[in-house]
Amino acid sequence: MIALQQLLNGLTLGAVYTLVALAFSLVMGVLGVLNIAVAELFMVGAYVGLSALAHGAPLPVAVLAGMGSAGVLALVIERVAYRPFAGAPPIVPLLSTLGCSIVLQNAVVNLFGSDPLQLPDSAVGTAFEFAGLRISTPQLTVIGCAILLVGIVAWLVQRTRFGRALRAVAENPGVARLLGVPAQRVVSGTFLLSGVLAGAAGVLIGLHYSAVSPFVGADAGLKAIAVMVIGGVTRIWGVLLAGPLVGIAEVMTIYLGGSAVRDFVVYGLMIATLLLRPHGLLGKPPGQEGERL
Amino acid sequence: MTSTRFRTGFALAALGLAFAQPSAAQSGRLAGLEVRIGAVVPSSGPFAEWGRTNTATLKMLEDEVNAAGGVEGAKLRVIVYDDSAKPPQAANLVRRLAEDDKVLAIAGPLTSSAAEVAFPVANQMKLVSMSQASSKPGVSALNRPWAFRNTVDELVLAKTSVPFFKDAYKVATVAVIYDAKDANSVSLGSRIMPGLMKENGIKIVNEGSFLTFNTGDVDVSAQVTTLRSLNPDGVIVAADYSQAITVIREMKRQGFTKPVIGGTPLISAAILKAAPEIPVVAPATFFLGDTAGPSARFVTALQPILRKTQGLPAEIEPSMYDANIYEIVSLYIDAIKKAGVSGKPDQLAQDREKIQKYVATSGAYTGFAGKVSFNPDGDAIKSFYIVVGQGGKWAERVRGCSAPGGKGC
Repeated sequence: MIALQQLLNGLTLGAVYTLVALAFSLVMGVLGVLNIAVAELFMVGAYVGLSALAHGAPLPVAVLAGMGSAGVLALVIERVAYRPFAGAPPIVPLLSTLGCSIVLQNAVVNLFGSDPLQLPDSAVGTAFEFAGLRISTPQLTVIGCAILLVGIVAWLVQRTRFGRALRAVAENPGVARLLGVPAQRVVSGTFLLSGVLAGAAGVLIGLHYSAVSPFVGADAGLKAIAVMVIGGVTRIWGVLLAGPLVGIAEVMTIYLGGSAVRDFVVYGLMIATLLLRPHGLLGKPPGQEGERL
Repeated sequence: MTSTRFRTGFALAALGLAFAQPSAAQSGRLAGLEVRIGAVVPSSGPFAEWGRTNTATLKMLEDEVNAAGGVEGAKLRVIVYDDSAKPPQAANLVRRLAEDDKVLAIAGPLTSSAAEVAFPVANQMKLVSMSQASSKPGVSALNRPWAFRNTVDELVLAKTSVPFFKDAYKVATVAVIYDAKDANSVSLGSRIMPGLMKENGIKIVNEGSFLTFNTGDVDVSAQVTTLRSLNPDGVIVAADYSQAITVIREMKRQGFTKPVIGGTPLISAAILKAAPEIPVVAPATFFLGDTAGPSARFVTALQPILRKTQGLPAEIEPSMYDANIYEIVSLYIDAIKKAGVSGKPDQLAQDREKIQKYVATSGAYTGFAGKVSFNPDGDAIKSFYIVVGQGGKWAERVRGCSAPGGKGC
């Protein structure tokens, strides 16, 4: 039974990794840029969402507040740390977004302090036992919201006009522009969508653990990058497989082997993927990539 | 251990008079000079709260002293640097304070990890460096004669807290979880606590496979699920309070509300909110729940300053480490006054030596909870408390003295 409980813990963690990795993967898949600041947008979303919950806002409002704030900040990052360097080598926006992430972390430390922000008991969900498993309502909320958000992103990308434009820019930005696709708007939309997803993941993780610190972004962000690599950098939907896989691998490693080997397993999995299947679980080798989105 | 009342002739009270006094004319043996004390605190990074409150505390002390006429007429200047709790940065700052700022002595660094790296530099530069928080055993002992700590070794404290924990909560079995990335937590969780638990006849249910996590981890669900499955009577959580909050919150989430015991880094107002129903037992060298006496006066003076300080939460409380750093600089001032420090730039080395000798041997200084002196290892001999955090407040349960035999504080 304890193994099943750990599996549930892993699935919950994996759901959060999936959302953050999808946020990374969208920008990477469409623009070929690693927006490091996604990790801190996740943290900002958590702070805004938890603050809203702590002030009595209902959960949907808190989630929307977290998503909105992270989305707006993502647009600012696009404006100041990506757009001015369009056409520069990928290392340049990577470094400029790294700068943004440091600024965001410091801003939150200055605004909220370095102590963890804790949800009041009244805002913490309940738990129930089912077949020997202890399941909390925040756990179900995290998994449910993650599935819902991934579904919405899939619908947006596959079924809407914005999605078609997104896919066109991802395949060939130059040709897309020639065909009249508003590439700049697509770039901004990609950053916005990425920020919204990261913000939602932040609120969900904050809700689940009922506490969040200004330093939560770095570790979760690195894990999400590992998820993106394992899933396949050239195929964003790979994170749907890799997220739960990494979450479960991490939790099961702690359960069976201890925390000391946890990072060996998670990042070892990433290195093994790069060595054995460089294009990731769902990606295709160079020349046969197919659609990125 | 002692239950004697604190000394009323509290030296710091004299400094506190400055609250009611206008700026006094500077006169005295060192009139016209400036005495410089350095401080290394983590004002950014994971312990920013502690570093920022330390900085505000030192500013308050500096203002008090200068308003009361300075140190023997000399203006006091406390130069505070931020090490972000990074050991190499702490070592560089100690060198900078010694060579560039030419301070007489240094308060800090805060963490054991930073002290382990910065103390050898202080030793090399031949100036006193005294940590306000490091309590990992042996950190100052390895860096004699210039390294000191105004804290009590966790081993000494745990010798009192463990028997209390056992009796108060009828603990026959415990499980261990600690922060594997923090030097003090590793020492406390893997050696000190397990050893003392066994000495006290308490069984460790995860002996040989202690649970760990890393500083910054937000997910400890796997560890707590394992703890829960072991069903111990109590849990050893060796971590600083911000990390311990993550563990205690997860314990609450999983419905596992067993009493917790840890070291001095658990002492904070924030941990009281994590799970008010879970009792948290920890040792402290300054008791926030004190409602009368010097500690209460210190809190009354400092709290409004902290709450107005930018970058600190509105509900911030003074911490034990604010009291410790206040005591450290007050002790240096005491040394400057009583050990005949000249304050002249060309006698800096001799002045530093006089401060070292005074700190190491005098024992005449009186802090918030009575006399403070130092053992041959450079660790403070002072009063301490075993406190229980529950229901949103800390309550004193046992009072002790870190001197051998428990007497002399």
